[in-house]
Amino acid sequence: MSINLDQALQTFIVEAHELLQVMEQSLLQLENEPADQDAIGAIFRAAHTIKGSAGLFGLNPVVSFTHIVEDVLDRLRDGSVAVDTALIAVLLKSGDHMLELINVVASRGETLQPAALEREAALREALSTYQAPHSTPDTGVQNTETGAGDTSAEVLWHISLRFGVDVFRNGMDPLSFLRYLETLGQITQVTTLTDTIPVLDSWDPESCYLGFEIDLRSTASHATLNEVFDFVRDDCEVRIEAVDETSHKAVSIGSELVAQAEQGPLTASAQRLPATSEPKNRDGNYVRVNADKLDELINLVGELVIASAGASLLARSCQNDPLQEATSTVSGLVEEILDGALHLRMIPIGDTFNRFRRVVRDISQELGKDIELTISGAETELDKTVVEKIGDPLMHLLRNAMDHGIESADARRAAGKAGKGHLSLNAYHDSGSIVIEIADDGNGLNRERILEKAQERGLVASGAVLSDQEIYNLIFEPGFSTAEAVTNLSGRGVGMDVVKRNITLLRGTVDLDSRPGQGTVVRIRLPLTLAIINGFLVGIDKSTYVIPLDMVQECIELDEHQRQSSCDKGYLDLRGEVLPLVDLRNHFSHEGSAGRRQNVVVVRYAEHKAGLVVDDLLGEFQTVIKPLGKLFGALRGISGSTILGSGAVALILDIPALLNQIVQLEARTTQAPYSPTVVAR
Amino acid sequence: MGAVMTTRHTAVAVDEDAQYLTFMLGGEMFAIGILGIKEIIEYGSLTVVPMMPAFVRGVINLRGAVVPVVDLSARFGRANSAITRRSCVIIIEASTEEGQAQDIGLLVDTVSAVQEIAAAQIEPPPSFGARIRSDFINGMAKVDGKFVIVLDVDKVLSIDEMSSIAEAGQAPALDIDPR
Repeated sequence: MSINLDQALQTFIVEAHELLQVMEQSLLQLENEPADQDAIGAIFRAAHTIKGSAGLFGLNPVVSFTHIVEDVLDRLRDGSVAVDTALIAVLLKSGDHMLELINVVASRGETLQPAALEREAALREALSTYQAPHSTPDTGVQNTETGAGDTSAEVLWHISLRFGVDVFRNGMDPLSFLRYLETLGQITQVTTLTDTIPVLDSWDPESCYLGFEIDLRSTASHATLNEVFDFVRDDCEVRIEAVDETSHKAVSIGSELVAQAEQGPLTASAQRLPATSEPKNRDGNYVRVNADKLDELINLVGELVIASAGASLLARSCQNDPLQEATSTVSGLVEEILDGALHLRMIPIGDTFNRFRRVVRDISQELGKDIELTISGAETELDKTVVEKIGDPLMHLLRNAMDHGIESADARRAAGKAGKGHLSLNAYHDSGSIVIEIADDGNGLNRERILEKAQERGLVASGAVLSDQEIYNLIFEPGFSTAEAVTNLSGRGVGMDVVKRNITLLRGTVDLDSRPGQGTVVRIRLPLTLAIINGFLVGIDKSTYVIPLDMVQECIELDEHQRQSSCDKGYLDLRGEVLPLVDLRNHFSHEGSAGRRQNVVVVRYAEHKAGLVVDDLLGEFQTVIKPLGKLFGALRGISGSTILGSGAVALILDIPALLNQIVQLEARTTQAPYSPTVVAR
Repeated sequence: MGAVMTTRHTAVAVDEDAQYLTFMLGGEMFAIGILGIKEIIEYGSLTVVPMMPAFVRGVINLRGAVVPVVDLSARFGRANSAITRRSCVIIIEASTEEGQAQDIGLLVDTVSAVQEIAAAQIEPPPSFGARIRSDFINGMAKVDGKFVIVLDVDKVLSIDEMSSIAEAGQAPALDIDPR
């Protein structure tokens, strides 16, 4: 039982986080469109649901604070309070405080720190000005009077409660309802009904056969009592009646409600508060799955892909046609399963983006700048693991853009621009990877200052000639910061290099483009998934390498004659275009001489294009990435490994790193004039 | 490969002795504690990883996991081991400084036996003369009248050290690359 309750608590915490997120979004929307009734409704529902669930778990600090918030929201909903910036600010802070309460009280089971309690007191104070004049500011759980139908006098309620058989299975504890009722008033009598308990033989220990007849003396209204059972309404029967104490005759106050409850509890709850049923319907289309389970599944599917490739390989060598046909059907299905499994883990990046609206709002206020955030491409999907890890780097980049990029309103007007700064977040798919752009219309980067600073720090030799691009990318070097004043937000020179490192860890790249006076664009390029890639197999000597398929442009055969000429020059004439060649056999120091026939695989990454000279082309292969481990951490040009159908291990080429490495290598050998053999490639 | 291993019991105090796997490498006998050993497999199809130091022989597929194989002889600064019919890979669970476990294969010439060696029988390592870095040696054990070098597996297979050697090996290689 306690395990079930723990699970339910976990679900509550997850849901509460989501609801608070929704609340924050809606509040921000409300700030822009103060008349948006949907947003007000969404905020109210969020607070209401959190309060209700928190009450179920006996989390009194959460309930008592959320109740005040809900009170204010209720007045907002019926129009007694108008939306203004101050109210939004208070509500946003209240949302933060509720998050803290849930984290501290629900997740860790602790009580708040004194500092947090002080904050809470201040918030209660601020909220109380928006509350209805008759209600006291510190409305504890005892007198939870909400909405209409308040009965301030104490009434004796009679509650008939019949739990459904599935109550335990749904993670509910009947006892917790009784405990919660106790917080609303005084339970004078409880009769436990055991007449539905079957004979021992047919007793299912996981089923609930209990019913209660409860007499409760409370000031709470009928609606408040009714709300207590929101969570079990679907599978239990509840009747709440006021008892006329003089005649001891039950008088049905909310007869309408009870009648509905008799018809069917589901419709009753739907009519009572149409708003709350909406998220329930939506949840019906989703299944909450533990991410670990999903990862496990995807790992297994990965193994399945390898195993099925092995089976196909064997079948082909058997010369047995029906067997080959069967294995190819299996492979086709396995591929579909793989696609499906991977798709399970894809989530739109929009949620991550939307979280930044609040950040932008808060920071722009802190900096005294007027900044608007535009989001596009929010529906672009990418792997959950990538989404989780990209949040921090994006946050850094946004802060940087707001702090250093966008100027103050006065400076902007002086430069002939609109006073309001614009910041945009955009995501889109491009050649097998996802690109996230953070653009601002600020001052742009100061090329000279960066160069000066880089020389001062010894990052660049004085007199070196660098392209603009190279200079801009220097800001991603460790310990680099050009901000003259260290502000609260940025300027410490940690951050940009961390951003770059985090992105590199995700097998992504980051680069930066800037125009003086017009703004800066930071482009992050990330792989769609970390688990599986479509690869193109090539053979060198006896080894097999995998090139990510989305980087392969075309393959060209290289005959003896072409090889001689192109090897001398180090590049190839590809339909009038110069294509630099990389001889992988040499680069990877494979022994033995090349075969008579060689092939060139043309790869492209971002703006780089190159031809990789290999021995054999072995075709496409869907591969599960197996990390090589820390021992190979320093290895550049190889990002991981995979297991082929034959059971052999193949290495996956990291094309961006490989090309970068070769560019650096070339730069060093050509820059040093005394180098003995510069162009033997 | 289990047939290669034979267990012998010697009558010594239980709390002081530990079991060791002995193996041959370049005509010398070595021993490692068996606690970290997961299994011993035949040397089989191995994929060479380019641009790594000589002692990283490559990677193998161990039932779906990719495991690096370290050539012990090359790790001692000698020539790479020659592969024979009796070459074996000892799979050992090594850990990084952060405490993450990683399996590593150790390529040796032949494995001999699992033996119990009493702590009293192990002498401290000589400061020189073993022709191996002295921090690799845990001690010298006397087994059947011959000295056996007991290795400190954590040092020999220190992932942090080996990866920093690999890192150092990459940078200068670029400078002097003659191609």
